[in-house]
Amino acid sequence: MIFIAIVVGCILGAIIGIYAPMVPYTYSGYLAIAIIAALDSVFGGIASTLNKQFDLKIFVSGFFGNAILSMLLTYLGQKLNVDIYLAAIVVFVGRMFNNLAIIRRYYLEKWTNCKEKLKTEKTEQ
Amino acid sequence: MKKKQIAITLGVMCFILTMSIAIQIRTVTSSNSTASQSLINNGLRDEVLRWKERYDNAYQELLESEKQLTQIREKATQNNTTANAKQEQIKENNMLLGTVEVKGGGLEIMLADNNAAATNLIDPSMVLVHYDDLLQVVNALNNAGAEAISINGQRVITTTAITCEGNVIKVNGEKISSPFTIKAIGSQGLLLGAMTMAGGYLDNLESWGVIVNVKTVDDITVEKYNGIINYKYVKNK
Repeated sequence: MIFIAIVVGCILGAIIGIYAPMVPYTYSGYLAIAIIAALDSVFGGIASTLNKQFDLKIFVSGFFGNAILSMLLTYLGQKLNVDIYLAAIVVFVGRMFNNLAIIRRYYLEKWTNCKEKLKTEKTEQ
Repeated sequence: MKKKQIAITLGVMCFILTMSIAIQIRTVTSSNSTASQSLINNGLRDEVLRWKERYDNAYQELLESEKQLTQIREKATQNNTTANAKQEQIKENNMLLGTVEVKGGGLEIMLADNNAAATNLIDPSMVLVHYDDLLQVVNALNNAGAEAISINGQRVITTTAITCEGNVIKVNGEKISSPFTIKAIGSQGLLLGAMTMAGGYLDNLESWGVIVNVKTVDDITVEKYNGIINYKYVKNK
């Protein structure tokens, strides 16, 4: 059910995104940083699901909160002539890699466990 | 119940995420800026694109105020015959200057680089369209009595220069590239005869291997000159 909802959401989003009006180039930087923040939240959500600590409220607030906060910080950086968006990118992408490592380890462990189980079953036979 | 709620929120979030990614990708491809490895390159390109957007916005504003000006002028001269005559004169002068869009019967010439042949030749220069080809064609059209000419949307006016800038051709200072669509308004028979006669310039181009396509169009729109005509040294006597 959840999986179907995600797939339907992705397909609908892609279709509407193709036909939606374009963003002016001046603001496309803000959208980019918001996308990075949202992606970070998604990977964080997947990682916490694997750890069985998933909380919908935290996930939703992180998804929108991070996106809006990063946009505001980028705007502030532009006003102060400091490239704050660089810091945001470093933090978000760094966290993304961390979460990806957690996901990778989880599935790798599962895989090796499966293999060992098969091996022991074979030797028992 | 709770599972349903989770599914719907996750679906909505995925929807927002993919939509924004698609919009962003389209914006970036339309401004054809690919992120380069060098920070300085990125910064400079960013600046250029921003200025271009600002220019486009300002140009849009200019067009709107021009439209307003003509409306106000028309309203002001409604009940005044001498002013009306002046108004007609202004319109005609603008048409002659090339600052308004014009319509009429004429010719549409398509010139394009023959890319298929160019890959097989050691020197592909023969099958490409050069700036002097455009000059020759415009000259021949003028000779045949064309009243308005445009190349890829760039109106040919009295101050128009057609120059070679390496890989691209500049008309009115704007870069254009193959395929070239040359529109001309004039006597269709005369223009067609002058352009397609044996031994004419288009005939030569075609024999060299350039893709040439000429057709008469009964109702053709020639774009207006979208720069500003500004004389500094010429004075009325």
